[in-house]
Amino acid sequence: MREVIQFDNVSFRYPDDEKWIFEDLSFSVGKGEKVVITGPSGSGKTTMLYLCNRLYPENCDGIVKGSVVLFDKSSQSYSPGEVNHRIATVFQDPDAQFCMMTVEEELAFTLENLNVDRKEMDGRIEEVLELTGLTKFRHSVIQQLSGGEKQRIAIVCALIMDPEVLLLDEPISHLDPFTAKQFISWLDELQQERSLTILAIEHRLDLWGDFFNREIQLERINDANPMSKRISSRQEHQSLDVSGVSTGAFLKDVSFTLDRGEVAVLAGPNGSGKSTLLKALCKLIPADGTVRPSNLGYVPQTPEFLFVTKTVRDEIAYGGGTHAEELLDRLHLAAIADANPFAVSHGQKRRVAIASMLCDGREIIFMDEPTSGQDAASLVELFRLIDERAREGTTFLIVTHDMEFAFHVADSILLMKNGILTGKYDANQVWRDEELLSNHHLLQPKGWVEHEVCFA
Amino acid sequence: MKSALHNMNPAAKFIVITICMLTMAFFFNPWTPLLMWIGVLFIQLLFSRIDWKLWILFMIPFFIMAFGYFWTTLVFAEDKSGPVVLSIWSINITEIQLNHALSISFRVLAFSGLSLLFALTTNPVSFILSLMQQLKLSPKIAYSILVGYQFLPVLKDEFVQIQQAHRLRGAMQAKSVFHRLFHMRKILLPMLAGAVRKAERAAFAMEARGFTGEKRKSFYKVFSVCRLDGYLVSLFMLLLVVSCMSALYMN
Repeated sequence: MREVIQFDNVSFRYPDDEKWIFEDLSFSVGKGEKVVITGPSGSGKTTMLYLCNRLYPENCDGIVKGSVVLFDKSSQSYSPGEVNHRIATVFQDPDAQFCMMTVEEELAFTLENLNVDRKEMDGRIEEVLELTGLTKFRHSVIQQLSGGEKQRIAIVCALIMDPEVLLLDEPISHLDPFTAKQFISWLDELQQERSLTILAIEHRLDLWGDFFNREIQLERINDANPMSKRISSRQEHQSLDVSGVSTGAFLKDVSFTLDRGEVAVLAGPNGSGKSTLLKALCKLIPADGTVRPSNLGYVPQTPEFLFVTKTVRDEIAYGGGTHAEELLDRLHLAAIADANPFAVSHGQKRRVAIASMLCDGREIIFMDEPTSGQDAASLVELFRLIDERAREGTTFLIVTHDMEFAFHVADSILLMKNGILTGKYDANQVWRDEELLSNHHLLQPKGWVEHEVCFA
Repeated sequence: MKSALHNMNPAAKFIVITICMLTMAFFFNPWTPLLMWIGVLFIQLLFSRIDWKLWILFMIPFFIMAFGYFWTTLVFAEDKSGPVVLSIWSINITEIQLNHALSISFRVLAFSGLSLLFALTTNPVSFILSLMQQLKLSPKIAYSILVGYQFLPVLKDEFVQIQQAHRLRGAMQAKSVFHRLFHMRKILLPMLAGAVRKAERAAFAMEARGFTGEKRKSFYKVFSVCRLDGYLVSLFMLLLVVSCMSALYMN
């Protein structure tokens, strides 16, 4: 088997950092292989990927020891952009990897970069769209497509270069489980048709099945999953009452109730109106219907959007609550009380956001997609945070695509589709009902299957 | 016919409008800019299908500005010699004063008319692509502008989201305009930080697609200069010559 990518005792660090991101890394990827790289956040997965397509070390003045060989030639001997059409990359963020307005223009941009003759362009665009079954999107405006569609278009843009290797950076982290599954089987067919070599980064392999031939671990992940199924802390005391909430033409007549200490997960396909519902409940967008109480907490996917002050302590006390000091202690934030909230870690930002909501007396907290792009360790941290708070009586409503996480954390599941709340179900009832799950683009969590086997 | 200005080569349009503006700067009389403005209006009426409501909306500030210039030049003129042609209340206005005032305000109208003609009949993406193809603008600059343009809707979404989050925290309740403006800083900072991150990602994505910033040999969408451009450029030149000559004739 021919080696296409070869790392030989490679170490890498940024010029300003003393610490090596990774040291003495050696591995090789053969032609036609499907390899996945795993490792916790900060273990250098993306850095490694950037070394494979020559974006690094040039673009960050990084320091590299050892040798990176791409197609039997040292990566340093290529000129910028030379190897990129043989080793194509699809990035994680679906919003920040397109340069042009429409799909056609984007594909043409790629061909222009390769100095393809104008007469050939039309044919190649048509061919690649045909191959991927995306011909109907040829004239679509990219920014108006859904996350899953954008991710496919990104792959098409990579494929039009006729690459030998495809690098994928967490390609499914923004997709609902069903769309992700579809995407994976679509990718599988493509891979076989084109005999591509695939090197992907992923921290959750559940959905990939047996897609990959091999796994490279950059740092050992704690195998024992410390997340165990939560013991419900639901109390017999209603805390949230929503009736007849609707917005314009999209969200239709949503009613439900939540109890104190209850953790509910709101799930459904991409674009089914989950985020819209959270915003409507908090009166961030105009909506009809009644929500009691009106003082609700909301943590967006990017918690720093909430921050308005210069220290964590001020941030928590901003709303005028009096027990900021106590909350600093209870949410383990005392050590960073004087730090700038924009400069702490992502998990801490979320903690600060929740603390400031609680300090405002907002005992019901809505979280929008807190799990997307999080590695195992930060999911455990999030799990603990929710568990602790729920046991003290806080009610949670969490939007997530991650059914493993939902399985561990949720007391009840609210399902949504096309702007309509299908209903509120007991969590165990949902995991049992495969039809209900697939109707909402969801999949049975692996945790549940194991759980079933144990009790059978 | 109605779409001629829209189909005109954007680079050619840009050059001819720039020439008109630069030439007009040398003619200080009321007639040249007035004729230019009227001519531009006629060209737009005949050769474009712009939204005239939008045009009026954009013109309103320029009308106000033109009137402001007119009035201040009239009242606070330095050169008050010559025969008095008009007197309003107790202010006597001489011919020179009136001429100066009119030329300045018509100039505002002519310049804004020309700019609006360009802005309302040109697609920004086509303009950049045409600059790259006809005027040899470096692809590095051209594509940076295009990518920036793509990010505008994303940034707008982000702005709305941060604004909503701040409203939830009660941070947006400041009533006065001054407080609101002051608060903008707190919204713009996280956006700026996010924009830097996005810019890096976009740059990587471009390089991963084989973009090197070198001159490219082939284009998918070709912008060429054709006969239509020749006709329209001549039309603009004719208008320019006529309006410049009018100055000599009228004086």
